[in-house]
Amino acid sequence: MDELKRFALEIRIETLNMLSRHGFGHVGGSLSIADALAVLYGKQMRYDPKNPKWEGRDYLVLSKGHCGPALYSALAIKGFFPREELLTINKLGTRLPSHTDKNLTPGIDMTTGSLGQGVSCALGMALGLKVQGKPNLVYAIIGDGEAQEGQVWETMLIAPNKGLDNFIVLLDNNRQQLDGFTNDISSLGDVCKKAEAFGWFVVDVDGHDVAAIDQAIEECKRSDKPGFINLNTIKGKGWPAKEAVLGNHALRGAAFEGVDEALADLRRQLEEMQ
Amino acid sequence: MNYEMFDAKKIIGEVTAAEADLNPSIVVVSTDSAPRTGMGEFIAKYPNRYYELGIMEQAGAGVSAGLATTGKTPVFCAPAPFTTARPFEMFKIDIGYMRQNVKVIGRNCGFNYSDLGPTHFGLEDMALVRLIPGVVILAPMDASQLRGAMRAMLRYEGPVYLRIGTAPIPKIFDDEDFEIGKGFVVREGSDVAIITTGEISRNVFEAAEKLAAEGINVMVVAMPTVAPIDEELVIRAARQTGRIVTVEEHYIVGGLGSAVCEVCAKSAPVPVRRIGVPMEFLSAGQYMDLVRHCKLDADGIVETVKDFVNNP
Ligand SMILES: Cc1ncc(C[n+]2csc(CCOP(=O)(O)OP(=O)(O)O)c2C)c(N)n1
Ligand SMILES: [Mg+2]
Repeated sequence: MDELKRFALEIRIETLNMLSRHGFGHVGGSLSIADALAVLYGKQMRYDPKNPKWEGRDYLVLSKGHCGPALYSALAIKGFFPREELLTINKLGTRLPSHTDKNLTPGIDMTTGSLGQGVSCALGMALGLKVQGKPNLVYAIIGDGEAQEGQVWETMLIAPNKGLDNFIVLLDNNRQQLDGFTNDISSLGDVCKKAEAFGWFVVDVDGHDVAAIDQAIEECKRSDKPGFINLNTIKGKGWPAKEAVLGNHALRGAAFEGVDEALADLRRQLEEMQ
Repeated sequence: MNYEMFDAKKIIGEVTAAEADLNPSIVVVSTDSAPRTGMGEFIAKYPNRYYELGIMEQAGAGVSAGLATTGKTPVFCAPAPFTTARPFEMFKIDIGYMRQNVKVIGRNCGFNYSDLGPTHFGLEDMALVRLIPGVVILAPMDASQLRGAMRAMLRYEGPVYLRIGTAPIPKIFDDEDFEIGKGFVVREGSDVAIITTGEISRNVFEAAEKLAAEGINVMVVAMPTVAPIDEELVIRAARQTGRIVTVEEHYIVGGLGSAVCEVCAKSAPVPVRRIGVPMEFLSAGQYMDLVRHCKLDADGIVETVKDFVNNP
């Protein structure tokens, strides 16, 4: 588990580094999924960085596609492409645009960025694998703001009806969306109860506890229903000044003030763990 | 050219709030998108006339149509792809077919969200809305026109789509008067006519100066209403110059260029060159890189026009 914690710290460091150097990016929601990504790419998912299209791989769809930078960091750390390439984010011709893009990036299997769409596509992948009798799993990460899209609830309805036990949705429930707190904008209510009522196997966990996330995925894998993991997270986690505050969704220019201290602090934590 | 610059979102918010003082039916519908559109002032003043739905643009269009049915004048504002492409069918039926008095704003149109890539570019919004009979499409060119267009839209009875970027917008014209359906001549000329719309037109004005300096006498026509297009003015430009170039921050298919070609084909056949985004998917990049790639910068426009004039 210490290795996963270190991996999560590295994801946060690479994410903050690339975005602050570029001067723009979705910091809050990228930082809140670092721990889940660490568990997925550090332990749970089967993949081959040298052969991203390997048939035996598990799939991840980052339906909240604006948090591509966190996923790119995980992929680079695991060797899908050189770490230096992270600094090309959003430069014309880059393989790493803000939002994850199937056509451009090794290790990305679905283009996302328009909220709600990715999770339907992920369901299609799970269905396609299932009807072919294949053992691969499909994971999808959605945002709590994203979960206001009706298309998300269409997926919630279909997956249990199709018996998709190879499908695990992780909700990054960081309680914030673009312009404010989700409960002020349009509350999801008791989202675990809702998912249960739709027929999902539901686990409610601390989304920054790698052991708890790992355990939750294990349980979902054992269940014969599609899995729904409610990750209770903090938007901006890891950069204390940006945690759970308004305006942490996307930062531009001067809003990155203090990032050097935050990075130094994360690097110190990483050293202490080594 | 040095223009005074303004915040487009602030203008949208200010005019909405001012018009709302006069017209109590005006309400604002948001899909996690309105405060960012400068609606802060309106929201503070009229909290009961502001409906935040959450991220659900299909509902945004549908709910707006329902509100209009009860006598409200909803303003639904979000990034251009999310008010047009995402809820297209709701726009077509709930708003268009029923001729609901809904005002849809597609902000961050064109390449405005350059960093966010193809899911966030608004390059087909005019094409989509042009397919919905009876919906007015406005693409103001500067700060004054944006004020005028907002006022005209809110006073007009019927469905309107207004597209705008949110980068700082220059004040080019003094006149805030805005007549829906009317274009106007910015510069008279006889060699070639450039017809343009939206904020990118500032590059056309710059290009026209450069072309004039090189002895090419360009007519420049401003077309801030794309639907219904000012047919008379297109015909006049065609007859006067015999050659038309269109310039828009939109795909070359379906927007202003297509609208102009349709008029010419019917009433005044002349060769037309369309400058805009070629029919390809472009990736994320920096705004100016994308604009240059599409030859939508002043030098790119000069190059295309010269080539057109020299090789008709
Ligand atoms: C269909 C659609 N509507 C609007 C947006 C603009 N947008 C991007 S991120 C975002 C907020 C998302 O909130 P959430 O899902 O909670 O993500 P997180 O908090 O993890 O950043 C919005 C409204 C979009 N990308 N797609
Ligand atoms: Mg969120």
